[in-house]
Amino acid sequence: MERLDELESKSIYIIREAYYYFKDIGALWSIGKDSTALLWLCRKAFFGRIPFPIIHIDTGYKFSQIYSFRDKYSNEWELNLRIVRNEEAIRKGIGPHNNDKLKCCGELKTNALKKLVTEGGYKAILLGIRRDEHGIRAKERYFSPRDLQFAWDYKNQPPELWDQYKSESEDGTHVRVHPLLHWTELDIWNYIKREDIPFIELYRAVDGKRHRSIGCYTCCEAIDSNAKDIDSIVAELQATKTQERTGRSQDKEDAYMMQKLRALGYM
Amino acid sequence: MFANKRTIIIGLDGVPYSLVKDLSARGIMPNMSRLIKDGIFRQMESSIPDISPVAWSSIITGNNPGEHGIYGFMDLVPGTYSLYFPNFTNLHGIPFWNYRNGRKSIIINVPSTYPAGQLNGILISGFVAPDLEKAVYPPSLVNELKRLNYHIDVDSEKGHQSMELFIDDLNRTLEARIETYRYLWDKEDWGLFMLVFTGTDRLEHFLWKAYEDNTHPYHNTFLKYFNTIDEAIGEIAWKTHPEDSLIILSDHGFERMKKTIYINYYLRKTGFLKLKKTPDTSYDDIDEETRAFALEPNRIYVNTATKYPRGSVKEKDKDVIIGDLTDAFNALEVEGEKVIKQVYRKEEIYTGPLLDRAPDLVLISNKGFDLKARLQAEMLTENTIFTGKHTQNDAFLVVKGSEGCYAPENPSVFDVFGILESLG
Repeated sequence: MERLDELESKSIYIIREAYYYFKDIGALWSIGKDSTALLWLCRKAFFGRIPFPIIHIDTGYKFSQIYSFRDKYSNEWELNLRIVRNEEAIRKGIGPHNNDKLKCCGELKTNALKKLVTEGGYKAILLGIRRDEHGIRAKERYFSPRDLQFAWDYKNQPPELWDQYKSESEDGTHVRVHPLLHWTELDIWNYIKREDIPFIELYRAVDGKRHRSIGCYTCCEAIDSNAKDIDSIVAELQATKTQERTGRSQDKEDAYMMQKLRALGYM
Repeated sequence: MFANKRTIIIGLDGVPYSLVKDLSARGIMPNMSRLIKDGIFRQMESSIPDISPVAWSSIITGNNPGEHGIYGFMDLVPGTYSLYFPNFTNLHGIPFWNYRNGRKSIIINVPSTYPAGQLNGILISGFVAPDLEKAVYPPSLVNELKRLNYHIDVDSEKGHQSMELFIDDLNRTLEARIETYRYLWDKEDWGLFMLVFTGTDRLEHFLWKAYEDNTHPYHNTFLKYFNTIDEAIGEIAWKTHPEDSLIILSDHGFERMKKTIYINYYLRKTGFLKLKKTPDTSYDDIDEETRAFALEPNRIYVNTATKYPRGSVKEKDKDVIIGDLTDAFNALEVEGEKVIKQVYRKEEIYTGPLLDRAPDLVLISNKGFDLKARLQAEMLTENTIFTGKHTQNDAFLVVKGSEGCYAPENPSVFDVFGILESLG
């Protein structure tokens, strides 16, 4: 089988199994390339109509293009879109200008999701993370349980592979399902090209700069690039040695380091 | 030679020679008092800069930063203004435990050994280590450490919230560290055992004043902490065999802090540094007109065209800029006192293949002035929550070895490796 077909069928299988087993599931859509590819796979898995909610965590600091892209395709693909915001934190003024990055992300992203999972009664959440994306993600599994405190106890993960995934989760916990875990950044772009999946314009180079990874505008920096179309993006990725999330300042280990060093006066 | 001869190293992060002398004499560290009488007790020089990552990397490899490549907690990715945090994988040079054949090494809490790599033995990384899972080799030990409630470091953020919480955390961390050493001491058959206590440095940062001032509400807390450390040292010394060697050392000293001085602010005011935006600035905001900038805590870099994306200083002008910078730092006075004691050029203090990554100048301050780069600083000086600061010349070394063991009259952190070799 061709590589992309193989990746696709494995992902679709995981998505269907997750829905069959948990029923109360949702998929996170950051509007970035990975979660949009995930959405595309969900549509394929259920023949165009996704039978569960699609969740967008809105920090209020997303690029404006993200909002317009979200609204356009949410309509077109007839998604059951749920937008979550941590209103309480926003009212308290928590944000990138008043707080450090760890606090900001923790409140506006993690706690927003936490609230949604608890209140919405989700048993599993689909996420578009990939193993090659970031060091800490290399330990992720397709089915990754989170406890009541949202902590990821990665010593107590159910045994892989995932035909054994049916370990019962305790009440109040949810399972994160990662159907794209085996994909690479390059696979994603090749797949976007093959399937003609729409993607946000921020990935295309303008004036010698493009975004390789997107999130909040306050914490994303464009990389130097002249890649204006998918072919040149693919060519660029094949040649590059730098990491995908280079432009993302919120690398959790770095943020942790900064926080610890700052506490001792070294920043 | 004894076949079962072992080496034990106890590290006390940031503990000055002068404090060991004082607390030994006052009966607060009775075990130390005995050990320094029986062995060799010396004042030791730290690395430059006198901070843990640089000093410990030098201790464990015997190399200077020009060789091992660790110049600080953070550095710029070569050819860019992007900050990164060098870790154990960035260390050039081989730690002494990797030279030991046969018997296992147990290495607990040596700073800047994260992430834990493979070795014949056990390693638990020290500060800064974001993830316990990656801080432990072999990984099968993680669950046991969790059971022992092991924490890599004190949560220093607590020190900014409440001194009570901070002290509580300090004591818990120490307790678990002691439990962990006891567990590993008996569990394995080892030839080298190294244990570093880092809470000493954290305590001194926040509460040095409490040590010097006997009316301070935390005076006794401070002394009690060192007394507990001393008990642990006594226990370890008691467990050693007559043929074993014992080394106790610190990586730098400490003294009372008068004022924090922000170097990058001074560079801005004297026209060497120009930023594209303030506040919320980062090294990526360094403007082309910049001639020099500082990295934590006291490292100065000339913004040369060959090294940086917006570098504007030509190689031929570099010496002139270095001369101007030296003059500017020598002229820096706060409340009538000269702040800088010595300006070192990199060639004076570093040597080795990684010399080109070294700061062009490193500053040593006069007593009580704590130098910090702090790019975001909007003032020259500040009185912070911290009451203690590091010193370069007042670390300590105790060696209690078999006959013929060697220790120089005026040792530095770079000599520890050789001393270990002489112990066999």
